[in-house]
Amino acid sequence: MSRSFLFIPGDVPRMIQQLEIFGADAIILDLEDSVSMTQKDEARHLVESFLRKHHYQNPLIYIRVNPIDSEEYTYDISTLQNLRIHGIVLPKASLKGIEKVAKDLPQCKIIALMETPEAFLEIAAIAKHKRVEGLLLGAEDLAQALNLERTEKSDEILYVRSQVVLTAKAFKKIAIDTPYTNLTSNEGLLEDAQKARQLGFDAKASIHPNHIDTIHQAFSPTKENIKRAKRIVAYAETHHTMRFSLDGKMVDKPIIEHAKAILDAAKRYRLD
Amino acid sequence: MNPIVVGSLESSDCLITLTPHPSRKIAIESIVYDAYHDAIHAVIMSLLDDYNLQRVHVLCQDKGALEYTIKARLKTAILRFKEVHHES
Amino acid sequence: MKIYRSLDDLFESLPVVNGLSISFHHHLRNGDGVQNLILKKMNELNITKLKLYPSAIFPVHTEMLKLLQKGAIDAITTNYLNGSVAEYIAEHGLPNQLKMQTHGGRSRAIIEGETIIDIAFIAAPIVDEEGNAAGHDGPSACGSLGYAIEDSVYAKHTILITDHLVKKLEQPQIFSQHVEAILVVDSLGDRQGIVSGTTAITKDPVGLRIAANAAQLMDELGLIKEGMNFQSGAGGISLKVTEHLKNTLKARKLKAGFFSGGITQSHVNMLEDNLVNDLYDVQCFDLHAIQSLKKNPHHHAISAHDYANPANPKRVIKDLDVVILGATEIDLDFNVNVTTDSYNTIIGGSGGHSDTATDSRVSIIVTPLFKARTPIIKERVNTITTLGKNIDCLVTERGIAINPKRTDLLAKLSNTHLPIYTIETLLNKAYEYTGVPQSYDLKAQKIGVVEDRDGTIIDTLHTKKRR
Repeated sequence: MSRSFLFIPGDVPRMIQQLEIFGADAIILDLEDSVSMTQKDEARHLVESFLRKHHYQNPLIYIRVNPIDSEEYTYDISTLQNLRIHGIVLPKASLKGIEKVAKDLPQCKIIALMETPEAFLEIAAIAKHKRVEGLLLGAEDLAQALNLERTEKSDEILYVRSQVVLTAKAFKKIAIDTPYTNLTSNEGLLEDAQKARQLGFDAKASIHPNHIDTIHQAFSPTKENIKRAKRIVAYAETHHTMRFSLDGKMVDKPIIEHAKAILDAAKRYRLD
Repeated sequence: MNPIVVGSLESSDCLITLTPHPSRKIAIESIVYDAYHDAIHAVIMSLLDDYNLQRVHVLCQDKGALEYTIKARLKTAILRFKEVHHES
Repeated sequence: MKIYRSLDDLFESLPVVNGLSISFHHHLRNGDGVQNLILKKMNELNITKLKLYPSAIFPVHTEMLKLLQKGAIDAITTNYLNGSVAEYIAEHGLPNQLKMQTHGGRSRAIIEGETIIDIAFIAAPIVDEEGNAAGHDGPSACGSLGYAIEDSVYAKHTILITDHLVKKLEQPQIFSQHVEAILVVDSLGDRQGIVSGTTAITKDPVGLRIAANAAQLMDELGLIKEGMNFQSGAGGISLKVTEHLKNTLKARKLKAGFFSGGITQSHVNMLEDNLVNDLYDVQCFDLHAIQSLKKNPHHHAISAHDYANPANPKRVIKDLDVVILGATEIDLDFNVNVTTDSYNTIIGGSGGHSDTATDSRVSIIVTPLFKARTPIIKERVNTITTLGKNIDCLVTERGIAINPKRTDLLAKLSNTHLPIYTIETLLNKAYEYTGVPQSYDLKAQKIGVVEDRDGTIIDTLHTKKRR
């Protein structure tokens, strides 16, 4: 499972061609907000040309297309037909939009960008859709629609954050937190990412490559957690038991499963 | 008639300018001219062939763009050119 | 001590003749007015067949350009050059030749008598009336005068030029016994250019990845330990590696032995934070370094001889554990070029590159795998600045290559998560993005040589390539 989703503007070659070195678990090549209306075709062709030439297992590659009701969406979809990508990020997600993308691109996983009040009225239906892989909170657009002032502490988005986590988890989908938009404060980023982690998010989106290490710091299993997970799994395997006590704490099947997940993550993120 | 201009002069990018011309003509200015001139010329020729475009002057001002970028910029330019000139 | 207030009077006392050998140092960097002052006078006097031994040449050195255009300079031996002089020489060559030495090699050649200097013109920011000099104070303070010390001792005539004459100077770097005369001028040069300002730690994501890889490599090689001796340049990536080192030392409560070479604010901060015992400073890069040199007894001004003379068994760099260096080109045999670009444009020179790479237990090159479309790894470098046998590791954003002769390092890395590849594989990784460059054979004439620190000629220099 990815910890970080890094947005890269679809029209900047010197960024696109470095995407593998930013350290992000997933990259979102953006055809939407970071590309001006007059350069939509340039970005589309650039992303297409790049992905025809270069293939990556790691990071996972996603593309943010334009909203389904825009003219650009149609061009985006026809360009993406034959590209090897992991998934689509759909802006201004709605159930109708998810169903349209599912039909237009029969292979692709979809991440729903939750950034309109309407989307939250059908959040369960969106999360339930079998092609939806995760929910990504888009707090900036949402705040505008709700006439909220965004603050450093982000108390104003606590409710929607929790709703995204709760709904995503109910359908075993990935919960991805909104990007931290202050590019100068690393302490603020770490605090924000740790808060998201505490709320139950699996990952955080980002709009700057230099944010990735800090996001990983917040979303990776700690050394202590890895150590304990190793002991739990080892005990369960050597004693062939799914129910035992370790350091005075009860361990049962869900805890063993969780420990295994931590070890898988540690292995994937090379923390072991 | 205004020329079609696509791309930029930033590092790792290129600026493609297409103007109508009686026959196909390609001009390349590149910071990696000696090492990649043939490759740049070949990719431009091949894309013009793909779109069957003959009557055009291509100026490629290259700031070390990788091949995928030159291809993409030229493709955008060709499609815009064809739209403006109803060229086939 | 003879103290002159007029350049004309000074010149009347000197044996200024055709074929003269003269030297300068580069501690005033791109703010140096002294070399221009002296060479302008040489020009007025119509002196020809000059042999110049500046430790480095910068864009500010325009009087040298005028002499070159007149054909009045026969040969130049230096450690580093860029700007209009470099461009002129790469275009036209010299009547005799350009010789590129290392900082250590320059010192060795002077001491051993290979380089004979008739007159050393030494810009000295603070001088006392007896003829003792230093660089840490005065309106043109530049810090250490490391590269001028051997000149002062071995030149036939040593002239100090200063804009700050005092009664008595404590702790001089240059001693009156070697000095023949002092010239007092209004100003040694342009303050802005002398202290080139703060060098910024890189924020470029590619540079940050390279620095992180280099720091992790140092750690996994077991180089970060109590008493470790370290050198890094003032480039943005090097400074970021130094910052990683600082954080690791702090976290593990370790203290380094010494940092050497060109000293920056980063190094000074670590000295003040008690993360390193001593700074051995042959050249100050910023104001913080100059101020620290003035007040901190653990910040030592050293000469090029103390620093890097290969014939000096007590040279500082012999005890280096690790040095971080850059590269314009590196080839499959790990030869590094920081002297020219691929078209023979002269863009710099060894400085202490070859000296430190040769002596340090581990030398690490940090560079992007490719810049725009140009791969930094070549099958063969255009000019060898430092021989591949002295380069141990290449760290890029997409992977690390270890010189195969360092089987000890490779063994230490056998269980690493670091992306270790052969340098050939790294080159192919670059080609996946850039494509394979076509070969091109451009015409060029020989204009000079690259001399390693022990006096061995390791490569030749040529005029700019023409289509």
